[in-house]
Amino acid sequence: MTAQTVQQGELVTVIGLEVHVQLETETKIFCGCSTGDADEPNEHVCPVCLGLPGALPVVNEAAVEAAVKIGKAIDAEIPQETRFHRKNYYYPDLPKNFQITQYDEPICQSGELEVRVEGERRPIEIERAHLEEDPGSLQHVGGGGGIDSAEYTLIDYNRAGTPLMEIVTAPDFRSPAEVRAFLAELEEVLEYLGVFDAERDGSLRVDANLSIVEAAEADENGELSTEALESANRTEVKNISSHKGAEKALAYEETRQKNAIQRGRVVEQETRHWDESRGITVSMRSKAEEKDYRYFEEADIPPLQVAHWREEIEIPELPRARRERFREEYALDEEAASKLTSTKQVADFYEDLASEFDPDLAATWVADELLGELNYRDMAITELEDRLDEVARLVELVATDEITAKNAKEIVLRTMLDEGAAPDAIVEAEGLGKTDEGEVQAAVEAAIADNPDAVADYAEGDDGAINFLVGQVMQATGGSADPGTVNQLLRAELDD
Amino acid sequence: MSDAFITETELDGAEDGVLAGKTIAIKDNISTEGVRTTCGSAMLEDYVPPYDATVVERVHEAGATIVGKANMDEFGMGTTTETSFVGPTDNPAAPGHVPGGSSGGSAAAVAAGDADLALGSDTGGSIRCPAAFCGVVGIKPTYGLVSRYGLIAYANSLEQIGPLAPTVSEAASLLDVIAGPDDRDATTRADPGEGSYADAADGSVDGMTIGVPTQLVEGADKGVREAFESAIESLEAQGATTTEVDLPSVEQAVEAYYVIAMSEASSNLARYDGVRYGHKSDADGNWNESFAQTRSEGFGEEVKRRILLGTYALSAGYHDKYYAKAQQARDWIKQDFDRVLAEVDVLASPTMPVPPFELGESLDDPLALYLADANTVPVNLADLPAISVPAGETDGLPVGLQLVGPAFGERTIISAASALE
Repeated sequence: MTAQTVQQGELVTVIGLEVHVQLETETKIFCGCSTGDADEPNEHVCPVCLGLPGALPVVNEAAVEAAVKIGKAIDAEIPQETRFHRKNYYYPDLPKNFQITQYDEPICQSGELEVRVEGERRPIEIERAHLEEDPGSLQHVGGGGGIDSAEYTLIDYNRAGTPLMEIVTAPDFRSPAEVRAFLAELEEVLEYLGVFDAERDGSLRVDANLSIVEAAEADENGELSTEALESANRTEVKNISSHKGAEKALAYEETRQKNAIQRGRVVEQETRHWDESRGITVSMRSKAEEKDYRYFEEADIPPLQVAHWREEIEIPELPRARRERFREEYALDEEAASKLTSTKQVADFYEDLASEFDPDLAATWVADELLGELNYRDMAITELEDRLDEVARLVELVATDEITAKNAKEIVLRTMLDEGAAPDAIVEAEGLGKTDEGEVQAAVEAAIADNPDAVADYAEGDDGAINFLVGQVMQATGGSADPGTVNQLLRAELDD
Repeated sequence: MSDAFITETELDGAEDGVLAGKTIAIKDNISTEGVRTTCGSAMLEDYVPPYDATVVERVHEAGATIVGKANMDEFGMGTTTETSFVGPTDNPAAPGHVPGGSSGGSAAAVAAGDADLALGSDTGGSIRCPAAFCGVVGIKPTYGLVSRYGLIAYANSLEQIGPLAPTVSEAASLLDVIAGPDDRDATTRADPGEGSYADAADGSVDGMTIGVPTQLVEGADKGVREAFESAIESLEAQGATTTEVDLPSVEQAVEAYYVIAMSEASSNLARYDGVRYGHKSDADGNWNESFAQTRSEGFGEEVKRRILLGTYALSAGYHDKYYAKAQQARDWIKQDFDRVLAEVDVLASPTMPVPPFELGESLDDPLALYLADANTVPVNLADLPAISVPAGETDGLPVGLQLVGPAFGERTIISAASALE
């Protein structure tokens, strides 16, 4: 439980999550089929992931390794031994009509992840995280569009057997905004670990349990007892697939339940479906219709001895630690450090630049210029993966004073992004190479000679006149002079 | 066509190899690429696997020619081969009688000479029972010695593929071919022992200590017991020492076995829903109605009985009472066997407490049939190796003697069994 003070008479929102993330492995969790994009439905399938009679699952070590990394990142206990169970239910996307998952001996137990909401840091307890196989995907055609009402249903088993990690939190969230912040933090951590691809469709799926508890149930510390939490009827909201979606769905559900309570109605204990397009949750089934999954041990997979993996597997520095180090090591402010650690790739790139050039300059170039221009174009840094050396070259051109910062940003970087050209070629084509000092000096002297009025204004203390003169020099040099340098040269001449 | 086969084939193996020139029958629950594999069920009447089981690859490489897919009880659930969707197989060693089950077709093919060798599978006695009833040799290996990849599961924590042959040494040679770890079956383990199994069939029992569990002898039919006792005398005459041992845990074995096997079966057989392969009902209806109708049409009575009972045993509220309790019994049985096998080299008992039933005789009494498995099921619960070897007759009907060894003690039971030939 987390300590959050609640006022008497208030209604408190209590939320717990089950987050399913697809682990990024080359092959599926129990067979050698590719997890990559397929051209056709049912292309990446074999006897194992199709559940053909006689086929047997063999655990993909890469999936276990990814799970151990996640466990380390969330400070979870990784037991000596972990094992798989079968969860039995009939559904056509499930080739064996049971799912191989983990039950009472999951690979990660009792971890924690800190979230930051409105400047406040709070730890969210993670009760468990376990490995399982993803089912296939269904496409209902015609009719009512559901499994019971469609004219027919197409099944694609390409996804079947993709490794999933189900991360289950304690009911520690007190607002939909906290949920959103948690999902963003979790995704960042997973990407840092290199076990997750946020860009992949369906790579993050969230089920959320939400209930409303009377604040009067809280103790003097504002904490809610287990009894208070369990006595409130809760709904499980399914079909959430993004951070934003989670916040919206839970805000809707929160309002719906609070309205019911304020009108004296009982909140039904049920499973509800988030309808993203309509922005509402709709009832799927009542608690009484909950399935009995008849869990039992999967004898085809011997228990895995995983304790030593915890020691052997290393994980990279995580976003929070790296953010703090950046602030200290490079003297960055909170905002810049946060931007520069938003993904591992950005942070790695920044550190490469900071080791060669001025860290401040590198920070401006990565956090403001590069990320700003990418954001403007709705691009991710991953799309620039093969061209980061070009960006580094551009920063070098600025750092070594070969082009002006203004030209570098407004012409070179934008042209690089829009036209795919290399920086040196753009500098050459646009004639942006900085003019030599003699030429700038000549232009400065000419500007002074040609604009006696401005010189007089300056002499009388009108500092704005200098800007006019700088503009004249810039014009004369085709923008290739450095405005700061021009300013200095002008003042040197005029102040003599 | 021999009634031992559901499908006759002629699949030639490699030109040379230890089994070159030999013919082999494969139980019809072992996947053969391009050849239908029915599991004795209407559910899989037209199912053609796109891949070979590991054991099929291995017998191919060893040069054997596969001559047929052998008849069996539907999904391995039976002791007589009468629950097959194609009907029963006659017992070549005792015409008019069942060949035993569930690998009845495999044993009958060997007994009739339709194949030199056969592969069966043994979940609770399904190799040893038909071997005993048809007067041939059958080996149920240590759990994990032989790959199950491609074996259509009935109860996956209990079953192993194993050989059937006219003689101990031929059965051992086939075991040499199929044994050994397989990357596609995570439960396989390397046998820590050395030397081939065939070489172990040396006819020698001199100096061996044979334990006879009273619980596995006293319930046997009188004629079976007489044949068993004279076989034991023969082993003693060849230098073995016999001693009575107490195995109290086996009293619970049949109940524990059926709870575990049926529970696993309810899950293993869930995949037959008509969506991807196998029988599909023509009846209209939504997903629930359609798969229910498909299963109701495709499965036979015994299979349905076991799925329903297994589903019940795993259900919330009953799981602890049945499934969990059966697992506890299983642990006790394992410990009990480990304890007595620390004192003796092998355990001996009649394979089956009764001689072969007449065809049709036992169909209406499932419980009586389940009890006939009393001597074989404890071995599967304990994951141990066992062999059934012919031990004379009673009223002209074959009797089998079962020898059980410690884990990976195949060489010891093969050696002792060969002394009876």
